[in-house]
Amino acid sequence: MPEAGPALPTAMALRRSVGTATATATSAGLAFAAIDYLGVVSVLAYAPGATAVVGIFIGGLIVVLVSGIFSELNGLYPTAAGIRLYLGRAVGNRTALAVTFTYMTTVILVIAADAFLIGAAVRHVLGEPPVLAYLWIAVLLGLATTANLFGIRLAGGVQTVVTYTVLAGTAVLAVVAVFHVGGAFHHPLDLFGKGGFSGIQAVAFALFLYAAFEWVTTTAEEARTPPVITRALFVAPVLIWIVSSLFALSLAHLVPFARLHGSAYPQLLLGQAALGTVGELWMLALTVLTALNTFNGGFLVASRFIYAAAREGNLPRQFARLNLHAVPWLAVASLAGASAVVAAVVFATGEWLLLVAVGAAIEAGIYAVASFCLVVLRRRETRERPFRLIAAKPLAVFGIAAFSVLFLATGFSDPRNAHRFSVAPISVIAVLAAISTAYVLLVVPKLRAAAAARAAVAARPRRRPSRPSAAAGPAPVAVPDAAAQLSTPEVGMDEPIG
Amino acid sequence: MADWDELNEALADYTISCNGNERLRKMQRDWSRTLHFICSDTGTSFSMMVDRGEILSTPVGHVGTPDIVVTTDSETFCDMFWGDLNPVQKYLRGEITVKGSQEDVMRLDAISYVIWPDS
Repeated sequence: MPEAGPALPTAMALRRSVGTATATATSAGLAFAAIDYLGVVSVLAYAPGATAVVGIFIGGLIVVLVSGIFSELNGLYPTAAGIRLYLGRAVGNRTALAVTFTYMTTVILVIAADAFLIGAAVRHVLGEPPVLAYLWIAVLLGLATTANLFGIRLAGGVQTVVTYTVLAGTAVLAVVAVFHVGGAFHHPLDLFGKGGFSGIQAVAFALFLYAAFEWVTTTAEEARTPPVITRALFVAPVLIWIVSSLFALSLAHLVPFARLHGSAYPQLLLGQAALGTVGELWMLALTVLTALNTFNGGFLVASRFIYAAAREGNLPRQFARLNLHAVPWLAVASLAGASAVVAAVVFATGEWLLLVAVGAAIEAGIYAVASFCLVVLRRRETRERPFRLIAAKPLAVFGIAAFSVLFLATGFSDPRNAHRFSVAPISVIAVLAAISTAYVLLVVPKLRAAAAARAAVAARPRRRPSRPSAAAGPAPVAVPDAAAQLSTPEVGMDEPIG
Repeated sequence: MADWDELNEALADYTISCNGNERLRKMQRDWSRTLHFICSDTGTSFSMMVDRGEILSTPVGHVGTPDIVVTTDSETFCDMFWGDLNPVQKYLRGEITVKGSQEDVMRLDAISYVIWPDS
């Protein structure tokens, strides 16, 4: 037997691998979407003026804990399956599936929100009637869907440039706005006296600004070395913190909150206030650039998740069908359709801030779940990992409590009025979670039964020739192997994977 | 544990199935990659050279710089190359580990899916 031996070959470098700069850009790019501009406004609603910076800073400190938790989990399971696998190992496949399906709906929400916000921004700058915004939404989603169906995606280098351009462009305009416009920021402390600070909600919405930065773990398999993802998880939030803080400060400095709160394009208002038409076009260009990352990353992550779920037997197998560009076309088309519907609902109702609240709450909930996974997997998985969180157990327990509180704070927030509570966000999440859970409990077993029945009817014999010398014993002949796999309790189990 | 002869036999069958599938060849026409495989139980290693969707060779050992590195036990490799198991299920359970881009990982699975859609 060639190259057999007790020691495995050492890890080798891939021809194309992701380094720290690209991984950081991926992480920051996934987090910093057009909806983040609205996220800053939501923070300002609970932390007026410069106190928003305090909220964003505290949110950033908490995100450091999230970085540590995901770094350890990612080191343990460096796979694109990410949270699906952590959860599967910690609490079992069904729960993992239900939570992951709910989590993935945030991708649809973000794609829909970005399509809506960019459509609204383009319409505003072009001075078109409001009804044309949906035309722009349809055009954007159509372009993104077509590009995806043809297998066109941003190269890593382009994605890196786009992300750093968006972050730097936003920061530069914010600095210009803060220091060179409207009185040159002579009395910075005045910005603290703009209203009451509502800490928990402010931090919860600040957390949303960093949301999805952890999706960089889905690129763990192409990372040059394991620490690359860890570094990205710690550096990207710093970039987002700096840019979001500058943006919040400049908004508080130049644009009255009353104008911001009713607007779907606060970044354009800031651009206009800072540099007139040039500033407005500047921010419009950056807003459109964010779509490249959102649509590229969102469609890619979600459609591949759908493909894998269909291949695994947890979604109808039609979702795994590939077109001639090796793209799961039904998954992509379904994502685009769902996003178009959500965008239409947002367009009709004007409830874009509800999307921010729902997204913020789901992210806080996922961080609580990840903290729980770490507690369980510290006990269950004793093998070495490249990153170990210091004081992991107490910090993870703190994470469970803190993120649960933040989940409730955003879940019951009123997106339109910071002084009131609302059940709207938590209701949307409850419906999404109920649909996911019902699907996993009621539909998935039927899919598996149908697949097993199909395999039994086909009765495809095992193709691999049986060998008496095989350690596992002779392979059974003429066993409908696919049926055997699908009926294995391990696949649809309640018990943790592994 | 599967020995090299078994693996080689599985790879030969896989190569014929892959190269003889017109739809797969058309789908993978822009996919040229070097794949490395590592058997975690025996330490056996081998490579696969793919040029525009066609498997050119499956030499012993690690040849060239890889685009993808796949690691699992030798039995799983054999079953996978014979089309007797669904690699995605093993992958999602962490029993097959892969180094490479998400796109390449999906392309690799797509080969099994197109050749054996009922696996």
